Amino acid sequence: MSVTLWDTTGSEVVRALATERRAGAMLASGLALTLVVCVDEKNVAAAEQAAMVAAQAHPCRLLVVIRRQLETADRLDAEVQVGGRLGPIEAVVMRMYGRLTLHPESVVLPLLAPDCPVVTWWHGPPPEELATDPLGVLADRRVTDTALAPDPLRALTVRANDFAPGDTDLAWTRTTPWRSLLASAFDAMDMPVSSARVAAEPGNPSAALIAGWLSARLSIDVERADSAGPGVTEVALFLQGAEGEQQVISISRPDGRLATFARSNQPERQLPLSRRSLGDLLAEELQRLDADDVYADSLEKATGTTGLTSRSPRRSHIWRDPALQAAAAE
Amino acid sequence: MDARNLLRDPRDRRLPRVPDPCALVVFGVTGDLARKKLIPAVYDLGNRGLLPPGFVLLGFARRDWGDGDFEQLARRAAEQHARTEFRADVWQRLADSIRFVPGSFDEDDAFDQLDKTLIELEESHGIAGNAAFYLSIPPVAFPTVLKQLDRTRMADSRQRGGFRRVVVEKPFGHDLTSSRELNKLVDTVFTPADVFRIDHYLGKETVQNLLALRFANTLFEPVWNSNYVDSVQITMAEDVGIEGRAAFYDAAGAGRDVLQNHLLQLLALTAMEEPVSFDAESLRTEKHKVLKAVSLPSDLDDFTVRGQYEQGWLGGTRVCGYLDEEGIPAGSTTETYAAVRLGVETRRWAGVPFYLRTGKRLPRRVTEIAVVFKRAPHLPFAHTDTAELGNNQLVIRVQPDEGITLRFGSKVPGSAMEIRQVSMDFLYGAAFTESSPEAYERLLLDVLLGDKTLFPDHVEVEASWRVIDPLEEFWHGRRPERYRAGEWGPHGADEMLAREGRTWRRP
Repeated sequence: MSVTLWDTTGSEVVRALATERRAGAMLASGLALTLVVCVDEKNVAAAEQAAMVAAQAHPCRLLVVIRRQLETADRLDAEVQVGGRLGPIEAVVMRMYGRLTLHPESVVLPLLAPDCPVVTWWHGPPPEELATDPLGVLADRRVTDTALAPDPLRALTVRANDFAPGDTDLAWTRTTPWRSLLASAFDAMDMPVSSARVAAEPGNPSAALIAGWLSARLSIDVERADSAGPGVTEVALFLQGAEGEQQVISISRPDGRLATFARSNQPERQLPLSRRSLGDLLAEELQRLDADDVYADSLEKATGTTGLTSRSPRRSHIWRDPALQAAAAE
Repeated sequence: MDARNLLRDPRDRRLPRVPDPCALVVFGVTGDLARKKLIPAVYDLGNRGLLPPGFVLLGFARRDWGDGDFEQLARRAAEQHARTEFRADVWQRLADSIRFVPGSFDEDDAFDQLDKTLIELEESHGIAGNAAFYLSIPPVAFPTVLKQLDRTRMADSRQRGGFRRVVVEKPFGHDLTSSRELNKLVDTVFTPADVFRIDHYLGKETVQNLLALRFANTLFEPVWNSNYVDSVQITMAEDVGIEGRAAFYDAAGAGRDVLQNHLLQLLALTAMEEPVSFDAESLRTEKHKVLKAVSLPSDLDDFTVRGQYEQGWLGGTRVCGYLDEEGIPAGSTTETYAAVRLGVETRRWAGVPFYLRTGKRLPRRVTEIAVVFKRAPHLPFAHTDTAELGNNQLVIRVQPDEGITLRFGSKVPGSAMEIRQVSMDFLYGAAFTESSPEAYERLLLDVLLGDKTLFPDHVEVEASWRVIDPLEEFWHGRRPERYRAGEWGPHGADEMLAREGRTWRRP
């Protein structure tokens, strides 16, 4: 069910996984993908929990890579779990030390489930350039979370500059319930929208993406306002009728749980619009494994970049040695 | 959805389909089905954000209740039976739009009150006349309720603006004539396009996956015909008895209760040609073609079997016989088990028998479709080497353990060439099935969206009755064979397959 290997090698991990799969009678038959999680020691528990939730909908092989300190002897510790504490999935949690942290793919590549798509998820501040991380290069889909960056709005611009089709960001995933509500409000829409406003706590990347999305789809200007949060608190659409009449549709969510849907001349309605757990967000991300063009369009508008969808989906690894960089800096 | 909605982009697969603001009116809302399936399904849809901002649930039943009592019942139902986690704030929002109207189906006043309440709710919730009426009631009450809906003009979409849809549960009549009458009545009160007949099997993921398996792959379709297929076995077994539905069940029996709808629908999906597209119309065309091509055996005595369970032991407890169940008349000849060999008279299936069986108080609850392939025409092995080799089988497990099993011959490790049958399993994973939408949730959503793909049409229902009617006529007045509760049906069923040199697969 579970075996821990100290100071081990990649091939021993492969053997241990095969043995555990046999012993566990292949509990997770029908693998849909391999999920590689790049995470720091302090966030491991949260990432594992989320991966477990997501794996319930998308049977996957979970490879958690924790890169520890560089200045130490090279070493690999691994924990192989099949149907154990991580639920009915097969998982390998790896801790890498020393120069091995710069070559994690040497351990991860032979562990990928044969011919299944690979999704790499960074649960932490996203890298500046995904191609410098070998675990990003081997993935078909790359999931970052700009909300965890020190400056999320700047991180969004970095993501746009570094974008390749197949990239997505959990800040975008968080917009889905909002976008779903807005789209259904639009199903019964008979007036054109002249402008819109999105309010959120300062520096919220999801608000920037909602604004980008509205602006991309409706070709309008979207004003951004600051509020006390949590997260996105209001989206308002200003409608302009043919005879100059004006209406407002607004969805506001001051408490992060319940939204109020209001339209001029109509009674207000309450509906649940909860902030979702990390696991639910990840599960949505794994639902589709092709490039998300709508995200690319919204990111373009949110950051003022262009031509994101026409970039190549392939990345080649860019080698950057922190030791050399440190030496050069001196 | 409307192509003019700029916010909906076909590339945007994250946005779920959410119905327009609408009301769901449930008749018989205090019944078992409503409590165990419908109300939990509504809650789950709400929890997943799939209900429109303007949504009301209006219950109608003969109870001296106010809105509060009904809300209590609905809340308990959602707490106990919902698939997703129960959250008080989601419920609170739903509870605000739940109303109850008491009354019996023959009271004009009650229906006038219902109509009035519906109109009020539509105004207060910004619903542009959209309503779906769910008839979760015994079939005898259908005409009364439909006539009331007609009288109050609640069913008239032109008068109300928006859509007016009706959802009916099986049985759709008890024979061809009665089903036609029922269809005529429903179709005149509503329009045929607005009638949704629920066969909850079609809402199951695995059943939809059968279409994906057949038509999204190249591997299976080339052998999906009489050149390669020896026979098809479709099984729906239940371990439960009649569960307090004595009056209904004794009049219907396994043939009308299950064979006519679930099993024939599964047969149609298994045997049909590829639809030109995956829309309701094309799918119905293909299913209807197959149902029209279904033939009964010429010798009904040899190739149909009826059974009735006697007392026995099942799952470690003693259970009583059918005749001892409460409310079953002594000497009832109703069958609780039915098996039949059908043929499909098309080029693809000529000569391939389709064995259908269903029964109550069988050892376990299981529904599956087993496609049994022919033996290889020549085996270059010694006869003794292949003694344990059976037919290749592809089994679609509809419930439980949703998934697919492939059975084929493989060498036994060792120095001798011995070949034995092995199973390769594809599981949706125990956890996956838990979180995949419950059939009612999917079907209810489709009703509100107006998507009829997963609903059998009245032509299919009538075609099915055309298959079942001669059977029922032949069975009428005959005594069913006895089988012990906890057995895989009467011996006659085994003999029926043995006559053609086959055996039932043990599911």
